[in-house]
Amino acid sequence: MQPERWRQISGIFKSALALEPEERGAFVAAQCGPDEALRRDVERLISSYSQADQDNFMDEPAVAAVAPLLNSDDDISKDRLASGQQVSHYRILRKLGAGGMGEVYLAEDTQLDRTVALKILPADVAADKRRMQRFKQEAKLASSLNQPNILTIFEFGEAGSLHFIASEYVDGATLRDQLRLKPIKLAEVIEIGTQVVAALDAAHEAKIVHRDIKPENIMLRRRDGVVKVLDFGLAKLSEPPASAGGHSDTEANTELLRTTPGTVMGTVSYMSPEQAQGLRVDERTDLWSTGIVIYEMVAGRLPFAGTTSSHLIVEILEKEPALFGETGIVVPPELERIVAKSLAKNPDERYQTAKDLLIDLRNLKRRIDLDAEIKRSVSTHLGTATTDGPAARDLDTAATQHSTPNGSADRGPTRSKLLPIAALLVVLIAALLALTSWSRIRRGAGSPAPAVIVPSARQLSYWMTVQKYRAGRPFAAPFRLAGEINFEPNYQVKLNITSPQAGYLYILNEGPRDAAGSSSFVVLFPSPTANDGLAYLGENQRVEIPPQSWFQFDAEEGTEKLWLVFSAEAVAELEQVKQFANPKDRGQVKDAELQMRVQDFLLAHAKPAPALSRDDELKQTTLSSPNAVLVYSLKLEHH
Amino acid sequence: MTDPAGAPHEITQLLAEWGNGNQTALDKLYPLVYAELHRMARHYMKRERQDHTLQTTALINEAYVRMVDQKNVHWANRAHFFAISAQIMRRILIDHARRNAYAKRGGAAQQVSLDEAAVVAEDGGSLLLLLDEALQRLAKLDPRRSQIVELRYFGGLNNQEISGVLKVSENTVTRDWNMARAWLYQELSGGAA
Repeated sequence: MQPERWRQISGIFKSALALEPEERGAFVAAQCGPDEALRRDVERLISSYSQADQDNFMDEPAVAAVAPLLNSDDDISKDRLASGQQVSHYRILRKLGAGGMGEVYLAEDTQLDRTVALKILPADVAADKRRMQRFKQEAKLASSLNQPNILTIFEFGEAGSLHFIASEYVDGATLRDQLRLKPIKLAEVIEIGTQVVAALDAAHEAKIVHRDIKPENIMLRRRDGVVKVLDFGLAKLSEPPASAGGHSDTEANTELLRTTPGTVMGTVSYMSPEQAQGLRVDERTDLWSTGIVIYEMVAGRLPFAGTTSSHLIVEILEKEPALFGETGIVVPPELERIVAKSLAKNPDERYQTAKDLLIDLRNLKRRIDLDAEIKRSVSTHLGTATTDGPAARDLDTAATQHSTPNGSADRGPTRSKLLPIAALLVVLIAALLALTSWSRIRRGAGSPAPAVIVPSARQLSYWMTVQKYRAGRPFAAPFRLAGEINFEPNYQVKLNITSPQAGYLYILNEGPRDAAGSSSFVVLFPSPTANDGLAYLGENQRVEIPPQSWFQFDAEEGTEKLWLVFSAEAVAELEQVKQFANPKDRGQVKDAELQMRVQDFLLAHAKPAPALSRDDELKQTTLSSPNAVLVYSLKLEHH
Repeated sequence: MTDPAGAPHEITQLLAEWGNGNQTALDKLYPLVYAELHRMARHYMKRERQDHTLQTTALINEAYVRMVDQKNVHWANRAHFFAISAQIMRRILIDHARRNAYAKRGGAAQQVSLDEAAVVAEDGGSLLLLLDEALQRLAKLDPRRSQIVELRYFGGLNNQEISGVLKVSENTVTRDWNMARAWLYQELSGGAA
């Protein structure tokens, strides 16, 4: 076609489109006069115009049209790492999925005989040396904190053109998967939230801001529900260079935002207001994102849900999220308060530190645990005495369940006002019936896990994990034992502990007595490398002791004596012992007077010895004590 | 900028040179922007469905903010950047589509008309290749309309932004887009003009 012709066509086309559709035919005919070919061309173009409109032709940008292609393209490159293939000293087992920036494989570390998660970074990401450097620094630092809720990174490596990160393998699902699967119970919500914040607390102490807390970055380990926060430092790969002066130049940034809406990247839904504006972020941005995650877990939906990113950003900046109560979800008022405080628009009005948020979550958890415990024991009693009483059901609703956003009418907000009275009744009944329960536990001591637990009684289960060694190398997979045996030298063992009750756990290794008959103690738990350094365990939380290594026996025959203390309340003497749980003191209690007091405490509470029931099928031993403090001495013999 | 590596500064400088008519600046600019956009395009694709996908504009804006010295933001630079981003996005996407077509058929892409394309809906790539060819023909007839298509369809800009880049009124952009889109539709429907 000649440019002249094209100009003619386009001129008539443009004017015709300005008219009503029914007027166009006559207009075009008049404009083209005797030039039939011109008229046909214009008419055809007009008809194509309406057709294209109907078909939504090119409405979506090209990138959307080829999205599946790009994905399948990536699939092709993924296939390059097939099962059995060797990458450095890792043997690929299978693909686990695609995470933030790169595919993740399950692989075997052929040097250290362990399974790892291997993340392959895209070449162009890895090629950006400056960003990689900052990412590595932060990721390594976070990992080195040895916080149990932070994914441990083993190695950054290269093999040929492949850049990879080898990390601890977490057998489990992401919180995102979990959210898709089923609603999460309130107690679990708090538990997950607590562990995420514990990870953040440690990271923030080390001046690391995660910047991308979202359900995709939170893993829940299958076997024990331990939460692992992934991708610390990864945000360093997608942020503006730290050296950009504009970073701290708020004015320039805001100005930029005004002219270029959406100058942000990442998962907008979890972004804090300051982050969504491209302003400087600090630790408090992570607390906001955690607030969003908690909200989503409770409500099953996001607090801000604009349909496009710009709408979403406006909501994040301006809209107050609906209270749970307003949407028919009954939660403890304290949780409502915690979420609201995490989601304060102004960072200065938010939680200022992860620690503050952590304390509030732990206190809430403690209360929920207690309520649930009372409810359990009482509902059992009511179940035998009367039928399932109304008081118990009310408490059940509030303490352990949450309804869907369209919660049924009988879970209306007015119900929750009955709670304090109901709870009081329950406590009274529990107190009255406590004596009966004690005798029940004692009678049931021979059988596994009594169903009735009175708050003042304690129950604890433990089992051993054993790793055999041959010629200095691990031999076969570790196995589980219900209790202690006479261990062979070269065995390495771990002690695993859990309880259906929340409480304070302390474990001490008693060393030989000195001439004066005074014992020496080594603190094994709490430990700075486990459970955030705290003695407090949540309901059904499991801990491994030692947290990140194994007990090793020497060649000499002997017995290691471990004191297990599980108490409803924190134990003052043992809390003081915690100060020695550090690498410098190697856990040795170096205060003679404190040692005496610890010894006195143990002796005073060791009797009566807890009832012991060994379940060889479940492979665990359960200890029950009628006292509020359970003390048990566990002996690991070896020859 | 005191940053020794000075990438943002370098890009700003190159954009300015390109704006002053130095075509070799474009060659230097290309790989820098390409790596960045490729990375982002992948990120964009990976995003899970329930997430709020950002628009392509936001993607490019983000690249811009990241790459360009923010203290020396001029509209002219931004316009250049958008224009060049759109070109590069086009190249990335076409490359992908082409590679895919080869991989699938072991040869050159077959002619596919719109009707067939609707049937083989998953094969957006073939359509894209045809569209790219048609767009090259349009560029010869009408460079401005072709550029509008590039900025909008490949670059993801809206009409307002395009009007800023090309320094024409938004109405003109809308009219030109309508015409170009109708013509491309016709071309792809198999009706040679």
